[in-house]
Amino acid sequence: MQLGFLVDLRLCMGCKGCEIACKVENEVPLSTWRLRVKYVDVGTFPETKRTFTPLRCNHCANAPCERICPVSALHYIENGIVNIDKERCIGCAGCVMACPYGAIYIDPQTQTADKCTYCAHRVASAMMPSCVVACPVEANIFGDLDDPMSNISKYIQSHQGNVQVRKPEKGTDPHHFYVGGGNVTLNPLASFRGEGHNLFNNLKHLPIGGH
Amino acid sequence: MVHETIAATNAVVTLDVALPGIVWGWIITMNMWAKSIGTGIIFLGFFLLKKYPEQTGFIRFPIAAISIVFIHIFLFFTVIDLHQMFRFWHIFFYPHLTSAITIGAWMATGFVGLLFGMAYAIYMKKDEALYDKLLGWTVLLAVPVTLYTAGLMAQSTARELWQMPTESAQMILAALLAGTSAMILLGGNKFSDTIKKDLAIILGLAAAAAFILYMAELIFGPMKAEEVAAVLHYIKGGEYTVMFWIGQAMAFIVPMILVCLSLKNQSYYLLKIAAVSALVGLWVSKHVWLVIPQLLPMS
Ligand code: SF4
Ligand code: SF4
Repeated sequence: MQLGFLVDLRLCMGCKGCEIACKVENEVPLSTWRLRVKYVDVGTFPETKRTFTPLRCNHCANAPCERICPVSALHYIENGIVNIDKERCIGCAGCVMACPYGAIYIDPQTQTADKCTYCAHRVASAMMPSCVVACPVEANIFGDLDDPMSNISKYIQSHQGNVQVRKPEKGTDPHHFYVGGGNVTLNPLASFRGEGHNLFNNLKHLPIGGH
Repeated sequence: MVHETIAATNAVVTLDVALPGIVWGWIITMNMWAKSIGTGIIFLGFFLLKKYPEQTGFIRFPIAAISIVFIHIFLFFTVIDLHQMFRFWHIFFYPHLTSAITIGAWMATGFVGLLFGMAYAIYMKKDEALYDKLLGWTVLLAVPVTLYTAGLMAQSTARELWQMPTESAQMILAALLAGTSAMILLGGNKFSDTIKKDLAIILGLAAAAAFILYMAELIFGPMKAEEVAAVLHYIKGGEYTVMFWIGQAMAFIVPMILVCLSLKNQSYYLLKIAAVSALVGLWVSKHVWLVIPQLLPMS
Protein backbone atom coordinates (compact mmCIF):
# COMPACT_ATOMS: atom_id res chain seq x y z
CA MET A 1 0.00 0.00 0.00
CA GLN A 2 1.23 3.45 -0.88
CA LEU A 3 -1.03 6.22 0.32
CA GLY A 4 -1.13 9.46 -1.59
CA PHE A 5 -2.97 12.73 -1.79
CA LEU A 6 -4.29 14.77 -4.65
CA VAL A 7 -5.79 18.26 -4.63
CA ASP A 8 -7.82 19.44 -7.57
CA LEU A 9 -6.96 23.13 -7.55
CA ARG A 10 -9.73 23.87 -10.03
CA LEU A 11 -12.25 22.92 -7.34
CA CYS A 12 -10.57 24.53 -4.30
CA MET A 13 -12.36 27.74 -3.34
CA GLY A 14 -10.02 28.81 -0.55
CA CYS A 15 -12.49 28.27 2.29
CA LYS A 16 -9.72 27.04 4.61
CA GLY A 17 -12.02 24.41 6.07
CA CYS A 18 -9.19 21.87 5.71
CA GLU A 19 -6.83 24.13 7.66
CA ILE A 20 -9.20 24.39 10.57
CA ALA A 21 -10.11 20.71 10.54
CA CYS A 22 -6.41 19.84 10.66
CA LYS A 23 -5.79 22.27 13.51
CA VAL A 24 -8.59 20.82 15.58
CA GLU A 25 -7.85 17.19 14.80
CA ASN A 26 -4.14 17.42 15.53
CA GLU A 27 -4.20 20.12 18.22
CA VAL A 28 -1.79 22.21 16.18
CA PRO A 29 -0.69 25.15 18.37
CA LEU A 30 -1.42 28.77 17.53
CA SER A 31 0.99 30.34 15.02
CA THR A 32 1.94 26.97 13.54
CA TRP A 33 0.38 24.94 10.75
CA ARG A 34 0.52 21.40 9.42
CA LEU A 35 -1.63 22.41 6.47
CA ARG A 36 -2.32 25.80 5.08
CA VAL A 37 -3.95 27.36 2.05
CA LYS A 38 -1.83 29.95 0.29
CA TYR A 39 -3.56 32.68 -1.70
CA VAL A 40 -1.80 34.17 -4.69
CA ASP A 41 -3.29 37.00 -6.72
CA VAL A 42 -2.34 37.12 -10.38
CA GLY A 43 -2.71 39.82 -13.02
CA THR A 44 -3.31 43.54 -13.14
CA PHE A 45 -6.54 45.18 -12.08
CA PRO A 46 -9.19 44.73 -13.41
CA GLU A 47 -7.84 41.56 -15.06
CA THR A 48 -7.04 39.72 -11.85
CA LYS A 49 -7.46 36.20 -10.59
CA ARG A 50 -7.02 34.63 -7.17
CA THR A 51 -5.53 31.14 -6.79
CA PHE A 52 -5.65 28.86 -3.74
CA THR A 53 -3.07 26.19 -2.98
CA PRO A 54 -3.37 23.87 0.00
CA LEU A 55 0.15 23.01 1.16
CA ARG A 56 1.08 20.09 3.37
CA CYS A 57 3.78 17.45 3.71
CA ASN A 58 4.15 15.51 0.45
CA HIS A 59 5.11 12.21 2.11
CA CYS A 60 8.03 11.90 -0.28
CA ALA A 61 9.21 8.42 -1.23
CA ASN A 62 12.77 9.78 -1.15
CA ALA A 63 12.33 12.09 1.82
CA PRO A 64 15.28 14.30 2.73
CA CYS A 65 13.72 14.93 6.16
CA GLU A 66 13.79 11.21 6.96
CA ARG A 67 17.37 10.91 5.74
CA ILE A 68 18.74 13.80 7.80
CA CYS A 69 16.98 12.96 11.08
CA PRO A 70 19.72 11.70 13.42
CA VAL A 71 17.42 9.74 15.71
CA SER A 72 14.87 8.22 13.29
CA ALA A 73 12.15 10.42 14.73
CA LEU A 74 10.97 10.84 11.14
CA HIS A 75 10.30 7.40 9.72
CA TYR A 76 8.24 5.58 7.12
CA ILE A 77 5.31 3.42 8.05
CA GLU A 78 4.19 0.50 5.88
CA ASN A 79 1.48 2.46 4.09
CA GLY A 80 4.05 5.00 2.84
CA ILE A 81 3.26 7.73 5.34
CA VAL A 82 6.27 9.68 6.64
CA ASN A 83 5.45 9.75 10.32
CA ILE A 84 7.06 11.45 13.27
CA ASP A 85 7.86 10.14 16.73
CA LYS A 86 7.88 13.24 18.89
CA GLU A 87 9.32 11.35 21.86
CA ARG A 88 12.50 10.68 19.91
CA CYS A 89 12.97 14.11 18.34
CA ILE A 90 15.87 16.14 19.72
CA GLY A 91 14.76 19.34 17.98
CA CYS A 92 17.89 19.78 15.87
CA ALA A 93 15.80 21.30 13.05
CA GLY A 94 17.76 19.36 10.44
CA CYS A 95 14.46 18.27 8.93
CA VAL A 96 13.28 21.89 8.70
CA MET A 97 16.44 22.61 6.68
CA ALA A 98 16.05 19.50 4.56
CA CYS A 99 12.38 19.68 3.52
CA PRO A 100 12.25 21.64 0.25
CA TYR A 101 8.57 22.39 0.82
CA GLY A 102 8.70 24.15 4.19
CA ALA A 103 6.36 21.47 5.51
CA ILE A 104 7.97 21.05 8.96
CA TYR A 105 7.87 23.38 11.92
CA ILE A 106 9.14 23.21 15.47
CA ASP A 107 6.14 22.89 17.79
CA PRO A 108 6.44 25.75 20.32
CA GLN A 109 4.82 23.65 23.05
CA THR A 110 6.75 20.40 22.78
CA GLN A 111 9.89 21.90 21.21
CA THR A 112 9.94 19.05 18.73
CA ALA A 113 9.44 18.87 14.98
CA ASP A 114 5.92 18.41 13.66
CA LYS A 115 4.20 18.16 10.30
CA CYS A 116 1.25 16.66 8.44
CA THR A 117 1.06 12.90 8.96
CA TYR A 118 -1.88 12.34 6.57
CA CYS A 119 -3.71 11.83 9.89
CA ALA A 120 -1.93 8.48 10.35
CA HIS A 121 -3.92 7.83 13.53
CA ARG A 122 -7.23 8.19 11.68
CA VAL A 123 -6.02 6.15 8.71
CA ALA A 124 -5.06 3.36 11.13
CA SER A 125 -8.76 3.21 12.08
CA ALA A 126 -9.85 3.18 8.42
CA MET A 127 -10.94 6.83 8.52
CA MET A 128 -10.07 9.55 6.06
CA PRO A 129 -7.74 12.41 7.04
CA SER A 130 -9.73 15.20 8.67
CA CYS A 131 -9.01 17.69 5.86
CA VAL A 132 -10.54 15.30 3.32
CA VAL A 133 -13.70 15.01 5.39
CA ALA A 134 -13.96 18.78 5.87
CA CYS A 135 -13.58 19.80 2.23
CA PRO A 136 -17.02 20.99 0.99
CA VAL A 137 -16.18 20.56 -2.69
CA GLU A 138 -14.25 17.28 -2.51
CA ALA A 139 -11.10 18.90 -3.82
CA ASN A 140 -9.02 16.61 -1.57
CA ILE A 141 -8.69 13.04 -2.80
CA PHE A 142 -6.86 10.53 -0.65
CA GLY A 143 -6.13 6.86 -1.20
CA ASP A 144 -3.89 4.01 -2.24
CA LEU A 145 -1.71 4.80 -5.23
CA ASP A 146 -0.84 1.11 -5.62
CA ASP A 147 -4.49 0.20 -6.15
CA PRO A 148 -5.56 1.06 -9.72
CA MET A 149 -9.19 1.02 -8.64
CA SER A 150 -8.80 3.61 -5.84
CA ASN A 151 -10.31 7.04 -6.33
CA ILE A 152 -6.94 8.74 -6.42
CA SER A 153 -5.53 6.33 -9.03
CA LYS A 154 -8.59 6.79 -11.23
CA TYR A 155 -8.35 10.57 -10.83
CA ILE A 156 -4.70 10.54 -11.85
CA GLN A 157 -5.52 8.30 -14.83
CA SER A 158 -8.30 10.53 -16.05
CA HIS A 159 -6.28 13.74 -15.71
CA GLN A 160 -3.09 12.63 -17.45
CA GLY A 161 -1.02 15.63 -18.49
CA ASN A 162 -2.55 17.88 -15.87
CA VAL A 163 -1.13 16.20 -12.76
CA GLN A 164 1.84 17.88 -11.09
CA VAL A 165 3.97 17.67 -7.97
CA ARG A 166 5.84 20.48 -6.26
CA LYS A 167 9.54 20.92 -7.12
CA PRO A 168 10.04 17.68 -9.07
CA GLU A 169 13.65 18.73 -9.70
CA LYS A 170 14.49 18.04 -6.07
CA GLY A 171 14.13 14.32 -6.68
CA THR A 172 12.08 13.75 -3.55
CA ASP A 173 9.37 11.73 -5.33
CA PRO A 174 6.38 13.32 -3.60
CA HIS A 175 3.19 11.34 -2.98
CA HIS A 176 1.08 14.44 -3.13
CA PHE A 177 -0.30 15.62 -6.44
CA TYR A 178 -2.07 18.66 -7.79
CA VAL A 179 -4.44 18.86 -10.70
CA GLY A 180 -4.81 22.23 -12.40
CA GLY A 181 -1.72 23.74 -10.76
CA GLY A 182 0.76 26.07 -12.41
CA ASN A 183 3.97 27.92 -11.90
CA VAL A 184 2.35 30.58 -9.75
CA THR A 185 0.62 28.11 -7.44
CA LEU A 186 3.43 25.58 -7.09
CA ASN A 187 6.67 27.58 -7.42
CA PRO A 188 7.31 29.94 -4.49
CA LEU A 189 9.76 31.97 -6.56
CA ALA A 190 7.08 32.86 -9.10
CA SER A 191 5.22 35.21 -6.78
CA PHE A 192 6.13 38.19 -4.66
CA ARG A 193 5.89 37.95 -0.89
CA GLY A 194 5.34 41.04 1.19
CA GLU A 195 7.61 42.04 4.00
CA GLY A 196 7.70 39.59 6.89
CA HIS A 197 5.69 36.95 5.00
CA ASN A 198 2.87 37.57 7.44
CA LEU A 199 -0.69 36.38 7.58
CA PHE A 200 -2.16 39.46 5.93
CA ASN A 201 0.91 40.90 4.41
CA ASN A 202 -0.77 43.96 3.02
CA LEU A 203 -1.95 45.18 6.44
CA LYS A 204 -0.22 48.29 7.69
CA HIS A 205 -0.16 49.42 11.30
CA LEU A 206 -1.88 52.73 11.92
CA PRO A 207 0.47 55.43 13.16
CA ILE A 208 0.23 55.92 16.91
CA GLY A 209 -2.11 58.79 17.81
CA GLY A 210 -3.51 59.40 14.34
CA HIS A 211 -5.60 57.96 11.54
CA MET B 1 0.36 46.59 -5.42
CA VAL B 2 1.30 45.63 -8.96
CA HIS B 3 4.68 47.31 -8.73
CA GLU B 4 5.49 44.80 -5.98
CA THR B 5 4.83 41.73 -8.08
CA ILE B 6 7.27 39.70 -10.13
CA ALA B 7 7.06 41.10 -13.64
CA ALA B 8 6.86 37.78 -15.46
CA THR B 9 3.90 36.47 -13.50
CA ASN B 10 2.36 39.56 -11.91
CA ALA B 11 1.66 37.37 -8.94
CA VAL B 12 1.66 38.35 -5.29
CA VAL B 13 1.07 36.23 -2.21
CA THR B 14 -1.85 37.88 -0.47
CA LEU B 15 -2.62 35.38 2.25
CA ASP B 16 -0.28 32.96 3.87
CA VAL B 17 1.01 32.21 7.32
CA ALA B 18 4.33 33.27 8.72
CA LEU B 19 7.22 31.20 7.48
CA PRO B 20 9.96 30.23 9.90
CA GLY B 21 12.71 32.80 9.51
CA ILE B 22 16.29 31.95 10.31
CA VAL B 23 16.21 28.59 12.07
CA TRP B 24 19.95 27.99 12.30
CA GLY B 25 21.34 31.30 13.53
CA TRP B 26 24.58 32.57 15.09
CA ILE B 27 24.85 29.53 17.36
CA ILE B 28 25.50 27.34 14.34
CA THR B 29 27.98 29.93 13.05
CA MET B 30 29.84 29.64 16.37
CA ASN B 31 29.71 25.89 16.05
CA MET B 32 31.31 25.90 12.58
CA TRP B 33 33.84 28.57 13.49
CA ALA B 34 35.03 26.88 16.68
CA LYS B 35 35.25 23.52 14.93
CA SER B 36 37.44 25.04 12.21
CA ILE B 37 39.93 26.13 14.87
CA GLY B 38 39.67 22.87 16.81
CA THR B 39 40.47 20.63 13.83
CA GLY B 40 42.62 23.15 11.91
CA ILE B 41 45.15 23.45 14.71
CA ILE B 42 45.55 19.66 14.63
CA PHE B 43 46.25 19.68 10.87
CA LEU B 44 48.83 22.44 11.29
CA GLY B 45 50.37 20.88 14.39
CA PHE B 46 50.82 17.58 12.55
CA PHE B 47 52.42 19.36 9.60
CA LEU B 48 54.88 21.33 11.75
CA LEU B 49 55.79 18.39 14.00
CA LYS B 50 56.52 16.26 10.95
CA LYS B 51 58.45 18.88 9.02
CA TYR B 52 60.28 20.58 11.88
CA PRO B 53 60.40 18.04 14.73
CA GLU B 54 63.40 19.67 16.43
CA GLN B 55 62.04 23.20 16.57
CA THR B 56 58.37 22.64 17.27
CA GLY B 57 58.29 20.16 20.15
CA PHE B 58 56.95 22.87 22.46
CA ILE B 59 53.63 23.02 20.57
CA ARG B 60 52.62 19.48 21.51
CA PHE B 61 50.69 20.31 24.64
CA PRO B 62 49.30 23.69 23.46
CA ILE B 63 47.77 22.26 20.27
CA ALA B 64 46.05 19.47 22.23
CA ALA B 65 44.78 22.04 24.78
CA ILE B 66 43.58 24.53 22.14
CA SER B 67 41.85 21.80 20.18
CA ILE B 68 40.13 20.50 23.33
CA VAL B 69 38.89 23.98 24.21
CA PHE B 70 37.55 24.78 20.74
CA ILE B 71 36.03 21.36 20.12
CA HIS B 72 34.17 21.78 23.40
CA ILE B 73 32.97 25.21 22.34
CA PHE B 74 31.73 23.52 19.16
CA LEU B 75 30.01 20.74 21.12
CA PHE B 76 28.52 23.20 23.60
CA PHE B 77 26.98 25.34 20.88
CA THR B 78 25.78 22.24 19.02
CA VAL B 79 23.95 20.94 22.05
CA ILE B 80 22.44 24.23 23.20
CA ASP B 81 21.02 24.76 19.72
CA LEU B 82 18.84 21.67 20.11
CA HIS B 83 15.27 22.40 21.12
CA GLN B 84 15.40 19.26 23.26
CA MET B 85 18.99 19.40 24.39
CA PHE B 86 18.59 16.90 27.24
CA ARG B 87 17.74 14.25 24.68
CA PHE B 88 21.12 14.58 23.03
CA TRP B 89 21.96 11.02 24.01
CA HIS B 90 19.27 9.76 21.59
CA ILE B 91 21.88 10.21 18.84
CA PHE B 92 23.90 7.40 20.40
CA PHE B 93 21.04 5.13 21.44
CA TYR B 94 18.57 5.59 18.55
CA PRO B 95 21.02 6.38 15.77
CA HIS B 96 19.95 6.82 12.18
CA LEU B 97 23.00 6.07 10.12
CA THR B 98 21.95 7.98 7.00
CA SER B 99 22.22 11.23 8.92
CA ALA B 100 25.39 13.32 8.80
CA ILE B 101 24.45 14.57 12.27
CA THR B 102 24.73 11.06 13.72
CA ILE B 103 27.99 10.27 11.94
CA GLY B 104 29.38 13.67 12.94
CA ALA B 105 28.47 13.18 16.60
CA TRP B 106 30.16 9.79 16.68
CA MET B 107 33.29 11.07 14.93
CA ALA B 108 33.49 14.09 17.21
CA THR B 109 33.23 11.84 20.26
CA GLY B 110 36.13 9.70 19.03
CA PHE B 111 38.08 12.87 18.21
CA VAL B 112 37.59 14.25 21.73
CA GLY B 113 38.70 10.93 23.21
CA LEU B 114 41.93 11.02 21.18
CA LEU B 115 42.57 14.65 22.14
CA PHE B 116 42.36 13.79 25.81
CA GLY B 117 44.67 10.85 25.13
CA MET B 118 47.18 13.22 23.52
CA ALA B 119 46.97 15.66 26.42
CA TYR B 120 47.45 12.80 28.89
CA ALA B 121 50.40 11.38 26.94
CA ILE B 122 52.29 14.65 26.85
CA TYR B 123 51.27 16.28 30.13
CA MET B 124 51.04 13.37 32.54
CA LYS B 125 53.23 10.69 30.93
CA LYS B 126 55.63 13.00 29.06
CA ASP B 127 55.61 10.37 26.32
CA GLU B 128 56.24 12.06 22.98
CA ALA B 129 56.18 8.83 20.99
CA LEU B 130 52.72 7.93 22.29
CA TYR B 131 51.56 11.50 21.66
CA ASP B 132 52.77 11.39 18.06
CA LYS B 133 51.11 8.04 17.48
CA LEU B 134 47.80 9.37 18.81
CA LEU B 135 48.22 12.54 16.77
CA GLY B 136 48.32 10.46 13.58
CA TRP B 137 44.91 8.95 14.38
CA THR B 138 43.58 12.33 15.48
CA VAL B 139 44.50 13.87 12.12
CA LEU B 140 42.70 11.05 10.34
CA LEU B 141 39.54 11.66 12.38
CA ALA B 142 39.88 15.44 12.05
CA VAL B 143 39.12 15.12 8.33
CA PRO B 144 35.58 13.67 8.70
CA VAL B 145 34.93 15.85 11.75
CA THR B 146 35.73 18.89 9.59
CA LEU B 147 33.70 17.60 6.66
CA TYR B 148 30.57 16.32 8.35
CA THR B 149 29.02 19.81 8.54
CA ALA B 150 29.36 20.00 4.77
CA GLY B 151 27.57 16.64 4.61
CA LEU B 152 24.83 17.95 6.86
CA MET B 153 24.42 21.03 4.70
CA ALA B 154 24.35 18.92 1.57
CA GLN B 155 21.55 16.87 3.14
CA SER B 156 19.68 20.12 3.74
CA THR B 157 18.10 19.68 0.33
CA ALA B 158 16.00 22.79 0.63
CA ARG B 159 19.04 25.08 0.57
CA GLU B 160 20.56 25.11 -2.91
CA LEU B 161 23.53 27.18 -1.84
CA TRP B 162 24.90 24.53 0.53
CA GLN B 163 26.09 21.96 -1.94
CA MET B 164 28.76 19.33 -2.10
CA PRO B 165 31.53 19.43 -3.13
CA THR B 166 31.88 23.20 -2.73
CA GLU B 167 30.94 23.11 0.94
CA SER B 168 33.39 20.34 1.74
CA ALA B 169 36.21 22.29 0.09
CA GLN B 170 35.14 25.42 2.00
CA MET B 171 35.13 23.50 5.31
CA ILE B 172 38.66 22.16 4.78
CA LEU B 173 39.91 25.59 3.69
CA ALA B 174 38.25 27.19 6.72
CA ALA B 175 40.03 24.67 8.97
CA LEU B 176 43.37 25.44 7.31
CA LEU B 177 42.78 29.18 7.54
CA ALA B 178 41.68 29.05 11.17
CA GLY B 179 44.31 26.47 12.18
CA THR B 180 47.14 28.47 10.61
CA SER B 181 45.90 31.69 12.19
CA ALA B 182 45.68 30.05 15.60
CA MET B 183 49.16 28.60 15.14
CA ILE B 184 50.58 32.01 14.19
CA LEU B 185 49.08 33.54 17.33
CA LEU B 186 50.13 30.57 19.48
CA GLY B 187 53.75 30.47 18.31
CA GLY B 188 54.61 33.98 19.44
CA ASN B 189 58.09 34.69 18.20
CA LYS B 190 59.32 31.23 19.04
CA PHE B 191 59.09 29.95 15.48
CA SER B 192 62.05 30.26 13.09
CA ASP B 193 61.77 32.44 9.99
CA THR B 194 61.38 29.34 7.83
CA ILE B 195 58.39 28.15 9.85
CA LYS B 196 56.85 31.62 9.82
CA LYS B 197 57.25 31.68 6.05
CA ASP B 198 55.53 28.30 5.75
CA LEU B 199 52.65 29.49 7.93
CA ALA B 200 52.34 32.70 5.91
CA ILE B 201 52.19 30.75 2.65
CA ILE B 202 49.56 28.31 3.97
CA LEU B 203 47.45 31.18 5.30
CA GLY B 204 47.70 33.10 2.02
CA LEU B 205 46.90 30.08 -0.13
CA ALA B 206 43.95 28.96 2.03
CA ALA B 207 42.55 32.51 1.94
CA ALA B 208 43.00 32.75 -1.84
CA ALA B 209 41.38 29.36 -2.51
CA ALA B 210 38.40 30.07 -0.23
CA PHE B 211 37.92 33.50 -1.79
CA ILE B 212 38.00 32.03 -5.31
CA LEU B 213 35.34 29.49 -4.32
CA TYR B 214 33.05 32.16 -2.86
CA MET B 215 33.46 34.34 -5.94
CA ALA B 216 32.86 31.39 -8.25
CA GLU B 217 29.60 30.61 -6.43
CA LEU B 218 28.61 34.25 -6.48
CA ILE B 219 29.22 34.71 -10.21
CA PHE B 220 28.40 31.29 -11.65
CA GLY B 221 25.96 29.97 -9.02
CA PRO B 222 22.88 31.63 -10.57
CA MET B 223 23.44 29.58 -13.72
CA LYS B 224 22.76 26.43 -11.71
CA ALA B 225 19.31 27.18 -10.38
CA GLU B 226 16.69 29.86 -9.94
CA GLU B 227 16.88 29.27 -6.18
CA VAL B 228 20.60 30.00 -6.06
CA ALA B 229 20.01 33.24 -7.95
CA ALA B 230 17.27 34.21 -5.49
CA VAL B 231 19.51 33.46 -2.48
CA LEU B 232 22.40 35.44 -3.89
CA HIS B 233 20.13 38.47 -4.22
CA TYR B 234 20.55 38.93 -0.48
CA ILE B 235 24.25 39.65 -0.99
CA LYS B 236 23.98 41.32 -4.38
CA GLY B 237 22.59 44.60 -3.21
CA GLY B 238 20.36 43.09 -0.53
CA GLU B 239 20.26 43.23 3.23
CA TYR B 240 23.40 41.08 3.70
CA THR B 241 25.63 42.79 1.11
CA VAL B 242 27.69 44.84 3.54
CA MET B 243 28.15 41.99 5.96
CA PHE B 244 29.15 39.66 3.14
CA TRP B 245 31.86 41.97 1.86
CA ILE B 246 33.14 42.75 5.36
CA GLY B 247 33.49 39.01 5.86
CA GLN B 248 35.23 38.48 2.52
CA ALA B 249 37.60 41.38 3.12
CA MET B 250 38.55 40.40 6.65
CA ALA B 251 38.73 36.65 6.13
CA PHE B 252 40.45 36.52 2.78
CA ILE B 253 41.42 39.79 1.07
CA VAL B 254 43.19 41.48 4.01
CA PRO B 255 45.06 38.30 5.01
CA MET B 256 46.20 37.78 1.40
CA ILE B 257 47.57 41.32 1.23
CA LEU B 258 49.16 41.18 4.68
CA VAL B 259 50.75 37.80 3.95
CA CYS B 260 52.38 39.25 0.83
CA LEU B 261 53.61 42.28 2.77
CA SER B 262 54.86 40.19 5.67
CA LEU B 263 56.79 37.90 3.33
CA LYS B 264 58.30 40.92 1.60
CA ASN B 265 59.22 42.74 4.80
CA GLN B 266 59.82 39.63 6.91
CA SER B 267 57.36 41.08 9.42
CA TYR B 268 55.81 38.62 11.84
CA TYR B 269 53.77 41.46 13.27
CA LEU B 270 51.84 41.84 9.99
CA LEU B 271 51.29 38.11 9.94
CA LYS B 272 49.68 38.27 13.36
CA ILE B 273 47.30 41.00 12.20
CA ALA B 274 46.49 38.83 9.18
CA ALA B 275 45.72 35.93 11.53
CA VAL B 276 43.36 37.98 13.72
CA SER B 277 41.64 39.41 10.64
CA ALA B 278 41.19 35.92 9.17
CA LEU B 279 39.67 34.53 12.36
CA VAL B 280 37.19 37.40 12.73
CA GLY B 281 36.36 37.46 9.03
CA LEU B 282 35.79 33.73 8.94
CA TRP B 283 33.03 34.05 11.52
CA VAL B 284 31.32 36.78 9.50
CA SER B 285 31.67 34.96 6.16
CA LYS B 286 30.34 31.72 7.57
CA HIS B 287 27.43 33.54 9.18
CA VAL B 288 26.25 35.25 6.01
CA TRP B 289 26.52 32.05 3.98
CA LEU B 290 24.63 30.14 6.68
CA VAL B 291 21.78 32.62 6.96
CA ILE B 292 20.94 33.67 3.41
CA PRO B 293 19.58 30.34 2.09
CA GLN B 294 17.21 30.26 5.05
CA LEU B 295 15.51 33.45 3.89
CA LEU B 296 14.07 31.86 0.75
CA PRO B 297 10.34 31.17 0.78
CA MET B 298 9.87 27.42 0.54
CA SER B 299 6.22 27.27 -0.41
S1 SF4 C 1 7.34 17.12 2.11
FE1 SF4 C 1 9.04 17.64 3.44
S2 SF4 C 1 8.43 16.88 5.43
FE2 SF4 C 1 7.12 15.86 3.95
S3 SF4 C 1 8.18 13.91 3.47
FE3 SF4 C 1 8.81 15.42 1.91
S4 SF4 C 1 10.71 16.28 2.75
FE4 SF4 C 1 9.66 15.26 4.46
S1 SF4 D 1 14.19 18.17 14.58
FE1 SF4 D 1 13.56 16.16 15.34
S2 SF4 D 1 12.55 15.20 13.62
FE2 SF4 D 1 13.71 16.91 12.81
S3 SF4 D 1 15.69 16.01 12.18
FE3 SF4 D 1 15.96 16.78 14.26
S4 SF4 D 1 15.51 15.06 15.56
FE4 SF4 D 1 14.68 14.53 13.55
